[in-house]
Amino acid sequence: MTMLPRTIEMRPVDPQTGAPVGPLAQPGYYPDFHTLDQQSYWDAKTRAVVIDRVDNVPPIRFFNGQQARTLTAICDRILPQDDRDEAHRIPIVPQIDRRLFEDIGDGYRYEGMPPDPEAFTLGIEAIEQIAQAMHGRDFASLGPPDQEHILRSLHDGTPGAAHDIWLRLPVERFWTLLVTDCVSAYYAHPYAWDEIGFGGPAYPRAYMRLENGEPEPWESEEQRYAWNPPRWSVSGAFEPVGGKEEQPASPSQGGMH
Amino acid sequence: MAGHDSGLNEDGDRAATQQIEPPFAPPTARLERNFALADRDIREGRFQRWLALIAGASSALSGLEVTYEHYRGGYSRRIMYTPLVLSSALAASGVAAFVSPRAAKTLLPFVSVMTLADCGIGFYFHVRGIARKPGGWRLPITNMVMGPPVFAPLLFGTSAYLGLIASFLRRSDSPGNGALPLPTHSAHWAHAFVHGHEPIDWRQDLREGRFGGQMALAAAISAALSGFEAWYSHYKNNFRYGVQWTPVVIAPLMSVTALVATRSVRVAHAGLPIVSALAVANGSIGFAYHVRGVLRRPGGARKLVYNIIYGPPIFAPLLFAASGFFGLLASLLRRRRQ
Amino acid sequence: MKAPPLGAFAAPNGEPHMPGPIQRLPRPMRTFAPGEEVDYVVVGVGAGGGVLTQRLARAGFRVIAFDAGPFWDTERDWVSDEQGAHDLYWNEMRITGGDHPLAFGANNSGKGVGGSTVHWASFTPRLHPSDFRIHSNDGVGVDWPIAYDDLRPYYELIERELPVAGPAYYPWGDPHNYPYAPHPLGGVGDALVRGCTNLGIGVVAGGPVAILSGSRADRPHCIYRGFCIQGCKVGAKASTLITHVPDAIANGAEIRANCMVGRIELGVDGRARGVTYFDPAGRERFQPAKAVVVAGYSIETPRLLLNSACSGFENGLANSSDCVGRYLMAQAGNVVLGRFEQPVRMYKAPPAHALTEAFYETDPRRDFARGFAIQTVGPLPIAFAKQMMTAKGAWGWGLRQVMMDYNHWAAFGFLGELLPNAANRVQLAEERDRHGLPVAKITFRLFDNDKKLIAFGKQKTIDVMGAAGAQEVVQEARYAHLVGAARMGSDPRTSVVDGFGRTHDIDNLFVCDGSIMPTQGSANPGLTIMALAARCADYLIAQGASIFTSSRRDTQAPPVRRDLSPPDTAGHGMPRLRSWRSTAPSR
Ligand SMILES: Cc1cc2nc3c(=O)[nH]c(=O)nc-3n(C[C@H](O)[C@H](O)[C@H](O)COP(=O)(O)OP(=O)(O)OC[C@H]3O[C@@H](n4cnc5c(N)ncnc54)[C@H](O)[C@@H]3O)c2cc1C
Ligand code: SF4
Repeated sequence: MTMLPRTIEMRPVDPQTGAPVGPLAQPGYYPDFHTLDQQSYWDAKTRAVVIDRVDNVPPIRFFNGQQARTLTAICDRILPQDDRDEAHRIPIVPQIDRRLFEDIGDGYRYEGMPPDPEAFTLGIEAIEQIAQAMHGRDFASLGPPDQEHILRSLHDGTPGAAHDIWLRLPVERFWTLLVTDCVSAYYAHPYAWDEIGFGGPAYPRAYMRLENGEPEPWESEEQRYAWNPPRWSVSGAFEPVGGKEEQPASPSQGGMH
Repeated sequence: MAGHDSGLNEDGDRAATQQIEPPFAPPTARLERNFALADRDIREGRFQRWLALIAGASSALSGLEVTYEHYRGGYSRRIMYTPLVLSSALAASGVAAFVSPRAAKTLLPFVSVMTLADCGIGFYFHVRGIARKPGGWRLPITNMVMGPPVFAPLLFGTSAYLGLIASFLRRSDSPGNGALPLPTHSAHWAHAFVHGHEPIDWRQDLREGRFGGQMALAAAISAALSGFEAWYSHYKNNFRYGVQWTPVVIAPLMSVTALVATRSVRVAHAGLPIVSALAVANGSIGFAYHVRGVLRRPGGARKLVYNIIYGPPIFAPLLFAASGFFGLLASLLRRRRQ
Repeated sequence: MKAPPLGAFAAPNGEPHMPGPIQRLPRPMRTFAPGEEVDYVVVGVGAGGGVLTQRLARAGFRVIAFDAGPFWDTERDWVSDEQGAHDLYWNEMRITGGDHPLAFGANNSGKGVGGSTVHWASFTPRLHPSDFRIHSNDGVGVDWPIAYDDLRPYYELIERELPVAGPAYYPWGDPHNYPYAPHPLGGVGDALVRGCTNLGIGVVAGGPVAILSGSRADRPHCIYRGFCIQGCKVGAKASTLITHVPDAIANGAEIRANCMVGRIELGVDGRARGVTYFDPAGRERFQPAKAVVVAGYSIETPRLLLNSACSGFENGLANSSDCVGRYLMAQAGNVVLGRFEQPVRMYKAPPAHALTEAFYETDPRRDFARGFAIQTVGPLPIAFAKQMMTAKGAWGWGLRQVMMDYNHWAAFGFLGELLPNAANRVQLAEERDRHGLPVAKITFRLFDNDKKLIAFGKQKTIDVMGAAGAQEVVQEARYAHLVGAARMGSDPRTSVVDGFGRTHDIDNLFVCDGSIMPTQGSANPGLTIMALAARCADYLIAQGASIFTSSRRDTQAPPVRRDLSPPDTAGHGMPRLRSWRSTAPSR
């Protein structure tokens, strides 16, 4: 959704043939599995919540136009969707906007971190400053490789500019906040469940094939295909957040046991 | 059948055996002789002791299964203990009936009827249990697979049914060959079940071993129930191994053949023994696979009890084999008088 | 088949308030007139508060229990969806700091009737006998003022009330059996059992978890849908919302939901005389009571005590020891993730279903005191994505790619005992919440023994995952299960409450939740919190009205009341075979 005419191949590629993958209605290894098809097996409340998530994309109310544009470009690199067709992209920024606008918190804030709404505005501002300092252009109009390099520097904890902002906004924590919000929007969407083969809501209908990864009668077997990120991409390599081998500063946030 | 013949021998007409048998008969001749004796006894219904024992044994199998199945359910209701008690009681009365003719006429039918009643109650609770699961009977497949096994109580009922039949049979040591001791004392409890003017007729059929048809029916029902259980538990497993289809194919085949055999003597003598033997073989192989499956589960033999309870149900194939065995018996029995 | 016979499942109608698909609440609930003095006010209806309220009501006391969150109607409020479960957690602001700051929200505590038990995974192991005397045994931490044997009858009672499903023989600590049978294993449990067995490590399958393996009365058994942490709509997983609160209401307790208690008020006589709370409309109200029990979780309990500072208690109520808020503990809860060649689909089966406590006790061959457990966990997609973000540093295309392998991963939770330290604490921040009350500020860091324990335990967990056949193993740091911050002890100078939960400073003020635990072992705390609450209830009941007037402190242990269990406890489940009393555990 960047403004730039696309001169480079945005899509992932097949490592054998080098051919681009997609755009697909449903990337992933479960092409004929669609959680939404199962909705009449869900309880009414769950169905209402999930359908609402799909059908009613909230309007942008918290961010201004410029911020929304930058954040969209950022999210397009944090969770790139170039292998998806336009109709099946998962909106991320509207969900973040809604959370901040409605002041829905996660129950805590790190000492030294500003509140989430401020953190987002500051972070976006800082990323813009880096783009200006390094390329003299706004972030959204940069080419995807340049955008990725800027984000990678955040991931590594070594942003190239806007140091006064990063003093108020610890960069690793901001990175964690940003990625967390992106995945919370993306993997809450039924299209993402289809992509990864997650069964979705399961009440009142139960699961019965608990072992050996066997699919339920209404799920499907995995049909793997090989793909690599686009050649220019640096986000396919796995490196620890903060660039350090030791523990990143933020612990896991999910409840487990 | 070789495994059973020593039992038949013990059970057989000892005096006759001793007279006819040459002192140093070759083993094969002895085997043939035993077969002939056993065959005669069965055809004439002279195997009360034997059938009582079979009923007892299959009830013991069912009992083992229900013990751990209800354990899985945490014995959440006190009534879940009743099949435990009754299956042991039925197994014990089977043995008692084997030893004592009196037990065969009193204890065995009593316990069998109690068990049948309990199976009915169990069936009701299992149906209700499924209804009370989330989604209830609107999710019939999931809830039958994951809820209380609906047909298990009925399967248990077949052993009780056999016990009941056994109580009517003659014993191999009872006198006479062709002519039957006609009416037993009129206070016999079975009179309660008989209406009309020919109270003797059906009992006489039974006592003469003329109930191949009924036996075939029992075999048909138990094969069908077993087959259904095999289907859903293998379905639960997504038919991971091709061989899991075999009981699902053989069971209906056997069930249908046995049903036809209730009408056709030809099928009873030709088709039924073949499919029944197939079922026995399949059940035995299945048993081996299930044992292997249990041992290959995570933890294997070191988590034996857990793996027996949650792995492939090891007694289920044996129950299927048992229905094959009923089919074999049915094909050996005489038919009802026309 | 795209729809079940008879069409899609419709919303429930009729019944006004459903705590489960076939469970019904006793109606009408008793309500006390505004300003009417009651015997007890309980603040917080979670693990501790729920059990305590039920018992006090059953014994005939007049009780009001407040909860800051809603009284859940599980059929209408809860969803079978990860994101949609957001409202179950305590989402109001807390500030977290220190060298190893803790995460809150979904990671730590609940808000609403049932408290955190609404979204716990419901692992319910007991503490070991050695846990009660780690100072005597190992020279670390402190000893409890009570012993394992004081708590054992209550463990047995609660295990039956919830009830707990688990193995017929549980080998660690004080060996025992469980009233309900273990659960079938899911893919993660298979991996844990396989890994442990291959390494010769003992492991138990299918429990102990407070999840029904067989239906009991009006609660169906587990359907293995894996959404335990999002609230069990089935009613198979125990929470005090469905196990104890209905019986409390049946016995005349009033549950005041959506009412946040802001202060505990003291009378001129130095005794608590009631609480000030904010009603659902946000209006401030006063509720008089003869005694007050705080059960608001290890963060909110000290916060409330600190926020209730008044003249005579300038540092917070019951804080003459300066221990309120201190000795806060979390367990190390690193998540170890392994990728397998064959699919696992870890979203099926309850996350909690197998564990090993083989490393629970201090081992002199190691260079640290105390130990850890390894348990199954089952992150759903969003939680898993966050784990990939921290554990692998994934983002961008790499994140998309590893997420497509979600079904190939299994996850274990390491659960390590961290030792209490005065520096780990809850204080008040400058910032205020929507009621104008200062929010909690939490400071947390690891100390030497903790770090060594984590390093060792993490590696062991990784080894087990490897032995289970994983091709790739990664891990991330995590902390779970906050307890402490108002600890019990016999010395009023170093502890906040006595062995029954009564504050040393105020005769009719009690604490009855995880905050009173002086050390934590490496067992999940829920069962212990409930057992402590049941014991506290027996004490209050045995003391009768003297709690309300007298300042005499009876230190006699109360008789165990086995007649106070909710209905449907007796007559269900398997008998307790016998108590295998271990001989060795305390060194
Ligand atoms: C994701 C997750 C998984 C877990 N899994 C397990 C597990 O498997 N096994 C286990 O044993 N434990 C587990 N736990 C931990 C366990 O749930 C808690 O330790 C336990 O419930 C704490 O009990 P409590 O009584 O201290 O507080 P809670 O159960 O949290 O109850 C506190 C209640 O008090 C209310 N409250 C607080 N302050 C106020 C106030 N001022 N006014 C009114 N009401 C107030 C809150 O709304 C809340 O309802 C888990 C926790 C989480 C978050
Ligand atoms: S897995 Fe079982 S206990 Fe957990 S939410 Fe589902 S039904 Fe409830």
